[in-house]
Amino acid sequence: MSIEQQYQARAKELLSGGAVKMVIGYGKGTTGNRRRPIFISSPDDVGRLVLDDSCIINLSGYLVSEGLLSDEKRVAVFLRPEGIRAINILAAESQLDADQIVIFGFDVNDNELRALKGIHVEEFADVIGSIRENNPGFADKELLEKIEKMTAQERFAFWQEEFAKCIKCYACRQACPMCYCRRCIVDSNQPQWVNTSSHSLGNFEWNIVRAFHLSGRCVECGNCDRACPVNIPLRLINHKMAVEVLGAFDHVAGMSKTQEPVLASFKKDDSETFIL
Amino acid sequence: MTKILLIDKLDNCVERWKAAGITVIGPVHRANISVYAAVEHASEFDFGLVLPDRSIKELFFPQTEPMLRYAIKKDTIDTIECMPPSGPRIIFGSRACDASGMAIDDPLFGWDYKDTYWFQRRNESVIVTIACIKADDFCMCTSLNMEPDSTKGSDVLLRPLENGKGWLVEELTDRGQEAFTQIAEFLQESADAPAQTAVVEKKFDLEASVAWLQKPENFDSRFWKEISMRCIGCASCTYLCPTCHCFDIQDEGDTYSGVRRKNWDSCSFALFTMHTSGHNPRSTQSARWRQRIMHKFNYFPGKFSVNSCSGCGRCSRQCPVDMGITETLQEISKLSL
Repeated sequence: MSIEQQYQARAKELLSGGAVKMVIGYGKGTTGNRRRPIFISSPDDVGRLVLDDSCIINLSGYLVSEGLLSDEKRVAVFLRPEGIRAINILAAESQLDADQIVIFGFDVNDNELRALKGIHVEEFADVIGSIRENNPGFADKELLEKIEKMTAQERFAFWQEEFAKCIKCYACRQACPMCYCRRCIVDSNQPQWVNTSSHSLGNFEWNIVRAFHLSGRCVECGNCDRACPVNIPLRLINHKMAVEVLGAFDHVAGMSKTQEPVLASFKKDDSETFIL
Repeated sequence: MTKILLIDKLDNCVERWKAAGITVIGPVHRANISVYAAVEHASEFDFGLVLPDRSIKELFFPQTEPMLRYAIKKDTIDTIECMPPSGPRIIFGSRACDASGMAIDDPLFGWDYKDTYWFQRRNESVIVTIACIKADDFCMCTSLNMEPDSTKGSDVLLRPLENGKGWLVEELTDRGQEAFTQIAEFLQESADAPAQTAVVEKKFDLEASVAWLQKPENFDSRFWKEISMRCIGCASCTYLCPTCHCFDIQDEGDTYSGVRRKNWDSCSFALFTMHTSGHNPRSTQSARWRQRIMHKFNYFPGKFSVNSCSGCGRCSRQCPVDMGITETLQEISKLSL
């Protein structure tokens, strides 16, 4: 039985017995290699679930949709390791109760799909732990090296050109499981903290605000990067911040559901005296 | 014998137009994305694209532009009106869907208040459209009763030659004729045959979909929630759309001086219809997606007798979660059977 069939059977069992009210997974998309998020509530529909190496989107953001988990019923979701880390962060930041989440874990290495064993987030500690060892891992090493070698001026010019393309569609924010604020800082207008205009200053403000808000929280799933309709390499920014956070605080985000948020917690013996 | 323009003469044309003070714009690559932008030389163009990632809209209706500068003094408020930069432009290598999109929006920007920002740019631009000889899975102009060689909104239509060396020239308007008179010496007579235009499969039944949308009871159909469940509420579809035209007016500055700007806005955003009280008449994403579809295929045609969609397919092509107008109208077509 393929992993897809195994997971379909498990979804059917969970839905039939009422153990979960919904399965969030992948379905066929418009073209051959596109997959789209689907929401299955009836055991009769599990045949629509698809699982292959084109299933890339991190689906964890749907779990914090307004009202979805408020009835305390369980929801199942297909997740790669990055998505599983996102569950840990969302739990640690009190956005969801991890016990309500049933995980259909999978990973793709060298185009080969494999199932990840476990149901609840704490059972995936080993898989996540191995990420920590390799972290921060980043696919586009070539571009990363190119940017690291740049002078500050060259780097500024690079980002200036990239941010000039930004149209403030906020696809990066909407696609991000960590951008769960019901009202984003850029949508607050009493007072207006950040320019809404999509000019140079406004685009810089937006992208830098987002980078800071994701520091120590990003799992590098790439949702923002793929969602960006103007191809800004957004992952580079978040990756850089993850490297900084690792160096400064020895922190890799999403290791457990009780891990303290690195930039939102403090200790009395912190070396920075200005904190207390 | 008909008039043709050879590709290897295009650089002469660009030079001639530029010498006459005309800005020449076309499909190019800029920082890992394709857009319509001004060029120095014809070699910058990429006519092999199905269509640029970003639509032609931003040449007429940019994502942000200043309307006026203001200074509030003790007894007076000084304002300086800002107008877009003026000057003739030739947009060479538009697609039929993009060009027709601009014509679709003309009545909107001319209704009750005539939007001078839009019309100044429209009046100063010549649109030279190249008929498509290839399409992708997302192209849907034929579903909107248009064709890859539709002339709506274009001043000149070019049909690629079968031998790939240039284009057959069809001047459609006085403005188009004037622009091509300036390069008459680079045109020639030829009997070369045009290439077959792209075959774009019809993807949905527009008439049936529109009839379904017009039925009042379908406003509250469960369909809206089901179709939009995965919508993440970004503005990718609306901002890439050649015909989406909503904007917001924002004052930027401090208490005493600043700039009033006209910025793109999107019905996908929760904030779009949020009232000061906190009440939101479109409080769910499904209500917002319904609005987008209803606006394009029910309300807009009700007012202007034309659908607010030209079939470019960018909404579906770029959607982070693989939604779009095509899927929605396909599903509505099924419902109305």
